[in-house]
Amino acid sequence: MRRLLCILLLACGVFGPVHSASESVVLVVRADSAVKDLSSVEVRKLFLGVPVLVDGKLLHAIRNRSDARLDDIFLQQIVAMTQEAYDRQILVGLNRQGWVRPAEVGSVARVIEDLYVDPQAVSYMWLRDVEHNPRLKVLRTLWGE
Amino acid sequence: MINSLRGRILSVLLVVLAALLPFLYLGISRIVQDGYAEGFVNSVRTYSGLVADELEASGEANFEARAEALLDGAMLSGQVVFAEVTDGTRTLRSKISPGLGPVPHSDDFEFGEHGDQTYYITHSFKHDERTLRVRMGFDERPTFERIQSAKRHVLLAITAFLAASIMIAIWLSALLARPLVSLQQAAQRIAAGQEHATLQSQSSLQEVRELNHHLERMRQRLVGANEQLRTEIREREASEHRRLQLERQLLHRERIASIGTLAGGMAHEFNNVMTPILLYSQLALEEVPPGSSLSDDLRRVIAAAHRARNLVSRILTFSRGMDTQQNSVFPLRAPVEEALALLRDIVPENVEIIWNVDDAAPTVSGDPSVVQQIVINLCTNAYQAMRLSGGRLTLRVSAAALPDAPDNVGALLEVSDTGHGIDPALLPHIFEPFFTTREVGEGTGLGLSVVHGLVDSLGGFITVDSVPGEGTTFKVYFPGAARVATELRSVARGA
Repeated sequence: MRRLLCILLLACGVFGPVHSASESVVLVVRADSAVKDLSSVEVRKLFLGVPVLVDGKLLHAIRNRSDARLDDIFLQQIVAMTQEAYDRQILVGLNRQGWVRPAEVGSVARVIEDLYVDPQAVSYMWLRDVEHNPRLKVLRTLWGE
Repeated sequence: MINSLRGRILSVLLVVLAALLPFLYLGISRIVQDGYAEGFVNSVRTYSGLVADELEASGEANFEARAEALLDGAMLSGQVVFAEVTDGTRTLRSKISPGLGPVPHSDDFEFGEHGDQTYYITHSFKHDERTLRVRMGFDERPTFERIQSAKRHVLLAITAFLAASIMIAIWLSALLARPLVSLQQAAQRIAAGQEHATLQSQSSLQEVRELNHHLERMRQRLVGANEQLRTEIREREASEHRRLQLERQLLHRERIASIGTLAGGMAHEFNNVMTPILLYSQLALEEVPPGSSLSDDLRRVIAAAHRARNLVSRILTFSRGMDTQQNSVFPLRAPVEEALALLRDIVPENVEIIWNVDDAAPTVSGDPSVVQQIVINLCTNAYQAMRLSGGRLTLRVSAAALPDAPDNVGALLEVSDTGHGIDPALLPHIFEPFFTTREVGEGTGLGLSVVHGLVDSLGGFITVDSVPGEGTTFKVYFPGAARVATELRSVARGA
């Protein structure tokens, strides 16, 4: 019985949540991007579709939807609202202000590719996905435990 | 209850309600809970984000005082139960934070997560090239209470809805079942024999109206079929009765005819015997001296022989049916009145004669003297039945439809007396020759048999109704002259 419990605990350790307690979510751009830093308000504006200019160039937000946890952190930390409120806000911005809906990408690899291609692109991801990538630059930590 | 229509409808509606209402309650509760939770989380995220933004925007000077003021302001809002700013080594916490237990390390991302009734949220912000974190805890209990209150209201509303639905279901089941129950009751009345009870169900439902219409048509056809069957049964019974009557009449006639044939033969032979007796008696009378006793004896023999011949003549009349009648068309009243004129002299004074005649009676065809003889014979029997007791002798002539041919109207002669009547056991024999109930010597028993033969010779028939102690009525039907003419023409064509 005790052996079985141990096996179960081991299995939970192996197949359990992939994010350790020390992981962080960071804001990322291409390494050679002109963007040096963004305040929390600018980040929120960017992902709500509000046009944000740096050196006269419009930044492009990429919403990373590669996992559900990242989605929760995006809603809670970046845009600071619920999914329903975010959807309403995006629609209001689209219809009333003519703002642009942020692009949504379903895999980390694709997010990274998009960042490689576009120097004005801004996205977020787990720190582990970006910390050893010299072609990407971390602007700030958005959330961490 | 469950097998009645109303019970079924009610049961179905209640089962549907019982099946749907829990889902309705759970669905509404879930919507209410999600709505409150979404509003709470949205407010918390927005509020904490604003605090983080404000802290990030704070300058280097007096940062700690500014941060402390912000955290105290957040605590004073009433919804925040915990607020601190940390850089990982130092922690700045609001002084008005209540003494909480150990604060969980991880954030909440959903309302009610971790079950501690506090929503913890952490925002990172940059300050002086350092990444700091503001961590806040929001009280979930007021929102929980609102959710519970809303759920209670929903439950109350659902209960009220259930009660109203049951009332409506009862009313609706009664409303839907009423026309069918009405039809059922009407059908029961019809099944109980009240087939003339109309099926009338007032319903706005087309199906029920059509059902009512079809059932009413079936009822009407049933009523029609029943009436037709009753009519056929009545006709069949009448026909059977008439057939039996005719059969009896036929048997009677055949019997009388055979007796008549026998009597006729005997009378003929007897006549042959009487002829030499009468002849030789007259010859002998011429040869004996008048006034002698032998002469008287011979005269008596001759008188007796004449009476015998007269009797033989009557028997032959019965058996041959008056072959020598004259034929004419005449109203029946004429020979009857002539016969009555003769009878008035011989009918005793204690017998009252009543004479009725209907002028609408059709003319008859035949020999009027035959009718006279019929009337005299019948009336003679009648007044003799009342000779001692007295009474009324009623004669009536009228138009009458013949029983075997209702469309042919003939003349009816009725002769009634109030005498002692005839024993029912004797009625079948009264028309037989020589049948009499009188004493020997008072009657020959030929009167009614002669009447029968005469009526028969005129194409009519005779019936008798008698009640012992009350009287007897003879009814003699004579065919109308027009009918006789028609029959004669058809016979002529057939020949």
